[in-house]
Amino acid sequence: MIALRRFGALVLGLLRELADESAYERHLAAHGRAHSAKEWRHFTEHRLRAKYARAKCC
Amino acid sequence: MKILAYLVWAAIAALGAFCLGGIAINRAEPINSLWLVVAAACTYAVGFRFYAKFIAARVMMLNDKRATPAERLRDGLDYEPTNKWILFGHHFAAIAGPGPLVGPVLAAQFGYLPGTLWIIIGAVLGGAVQDFVILFASMRRDGKSLGQIAREEVGTVGGFTALVTVLLIMIILLAVIALVVVNALKGSPWGTFTIAATMPIALWMGIYLRWIRPGKVLECSLMGVALVILSIFGGQWVSESATWAPWFTFGAMGLSIAVVIYGYFASALPVWLFLAPRDYLCTFIKLGVVLALAVGILFVRPELQLPAFTRFTDGTGPIFAGKIFPFCFITIACGAVSGFHALISSGTTPKMIARESHAYPVGYGAMLMESFVAIMAMIAACMLQPGVYFAVNSPAGVVGATPAAAVATISNWGFPVTAADMATLAKNVGEQTLFYRTGGAPSLALGMAAIFARGGTSMLGFWYHFAIMFEALFILTIIAAGTRVGRFMLVDLTAQFSPAAARKLTGIVGINIVSVVVCAAWGYFLIQGVRDPLGGINSLWPLFGISNQLLASVALCVATTILLKMHGPKFMWITCVPLVWLVAACFTAGWQKIFAPEPNLGFLAHATQLEQLMRTHPSATTATLIFNDRLDAVVTGIFLILVATILIDSLRTWMGILRGTRESRIYESPFVPTALQPEEV
Repeated sequence: MIALRRFGALVLGLLRELADESAYERHLAAHGRAHSAKEWRHFTEHRLRAKYARAKCC
Repeated sequence: MKILAYLVWAAIAALGAFCLGGIAINRAEPINSLWLVVAAACTYAVGFRFYAKFIAARVMMLNDKRATPAERLRDGLDYEPTNKWILFGHHFAAIAGPGPLVGPVLAAQFGYLPGTLWIIIGAVLGGAVQDFVILFASMRRDGKSLGQIAREEVGTVGGFTALVTVLLIMIILLAVIALVVVNALKGSPWGTFTIAATMPIALWMGIYLRWIRPGKVLECSLMGVALVILSIFGGQWVSESATWAPWFTFGAMGLSIAVVIYGYFASALPVWLFLAPRDYLCTFIKLGVVLALAVGILFVRPELQLPAFTRFTDGTGPIFAGKIFPFCFITIACGAVSGFHALISSGTTPKMIARESHAYPVGYGAMLMESFVAIMAMIAACMLQPGVYFAVNSPAGVVGATPAAAVATISNWGFPVTAADMATLAKNVGEQTLFYRTGGAPSLALGMAAIFARGGTSMLGFWYHFAIMFEALFILTIIAAGTRVGRFMLVDLTAQFSPAAARKLTGIVGINIVSVVVCAAWGYFLIQGVRDPLGGINSLWPLFGISNQLLASVALCVATTILLKMHGPKFMWITCVPLVWLVAACFTAGWQKIFAPEPNLGFLAHATQLEQLMRTHPSATTATLIFNDRLDAVVTGIFLILVATILIDSLRTWMGILRGTRESRIYESPFVPTALQPEEV
């Protein structure tokens, strides 16, 4: 049961990383800010600009 | 305990060898796909446990006491120590594109054996090694890119050449994958509607994430997936509607223009509005489908209907011309060795590694996973009846312009198929016809649909269009992202000559001009592919394969230089062996594509043949085809010259280091002890 829960947490962690949700949480923690629509927009502007300046694999 | 471990590994190795031997020797009965799965899994396990571990311990000397860039430069955004299995999934999602799905399907024209062996052996000894070494090199250099590492370790020529090579590859890549989508959707209102529907869905997701529920990406993506599945059912309704079906029925040329326009807008629109939500959607669907396909193959265990070798090993293949060597090894790039992976391995991933030892499962392991995806694609293609496989994948210019002519030609090759069989299959999947659907996507979709539908026909249409949607969705996402990246590269390249001009290209007008230039460049090759009487894939896929493998050669040159500087010549063979193989394959393929006397193989021979036709039947179309052949020959030549330049530059560096006339300095970041606690990793 514990192993299953750990596996579930790992999968959720991966999905959250792929969805940039974990990066957003880190951004809030690093800057000591609370979640808001404005903060999310600020975060995505930086994050997505960098993300889509790199080649995507074939 | 140690003896037990030895026995287990000996058993795994023996089982792998037995299965590899089984698939290599079998010539008579159709073979079960499980043989391929077990052979691949055992070889990967042995390669991962012994070869990769040897490289990690003896060659790279990975040191967990050394702080990684993720720790030293931690900024909470790009640089962040990440759980190794999460990073493994992240890296795998980044390297897995359409290449490992399409390449094996096309290479199946030689039979299942050559491609399968190349996928397994190429990945273990070449592709995974390249990814691992470049990831290691970037990790030891603060997450620098391949171009930056090449400039520092090899020389400025190498760095500049790598930039030009990548830009050219990008243009060919975008054209060829766009051609795959066009060929999958032409004359298919069901497929076209489904793909068209993903665009408003992505826009809606963008708005939802921006204003309605900011930050709720998983929640939004889940709704997006549900809407996409609904759109597949909607597509069926559209295809059956006499009113709506014509609105979504396009020919190849119409679709090509639509894809180019899409590329322009998708790359020029704000990223948060279209590209990012589409990418989230695509990533989750991609991982889900790969997992579902693996489970499906294990449950269904389909038999491979294609033989181990077909008659087309002699180079007369209808899908693309050329013999097994070199063409099998450039057609399957991403599933075995892919230069593009070096860009990912020197991109985001090295900035997220918490411990140096994590580079071992992430760099080497993720490539093995990608290779397994290629094996699954090979199984999906080879489980089709050979006649059906060739009828779907062969262009009209080779097999004949009518279904009757096509089935007669294919049956004469020894792969019986009837027009009635093809009509029934098309009806079962909700298409008007499945003839001449070159590019690999439709035949892969047929195989996947057969696996997901478990042999039944009631849901075959849904699963076929689900598979088409899956392939087209992420190809179109790559087109949007690739066009955008191409824009940045073109600006970077301009900056090498004129920084002032490059600055002007970053304004709104400049962005639009550069976007148009990039779209026009790949759009030209796309339309050339559509017009090509030999189906386009015959010329464009080898061009893409050559360019991608040449990029791998560049990465392996850089990797060899680093290993030479670290250890002298002792471990050079690790990267030199795959490098020599790739250089031999790419240069032979490139030479043959330019100069081979057979018109279906050599660009110049084809141009000469068309010139003779021009004398009797002059036409503007033929003149364009002649120009295109010569252009393809020039592009191939440029690729070869660029890589020869890097090779010569690397050889000069290696000789200098070996003779002691050149400084053997390694540009690694200085050692800093880690302060990360185990619970943080």
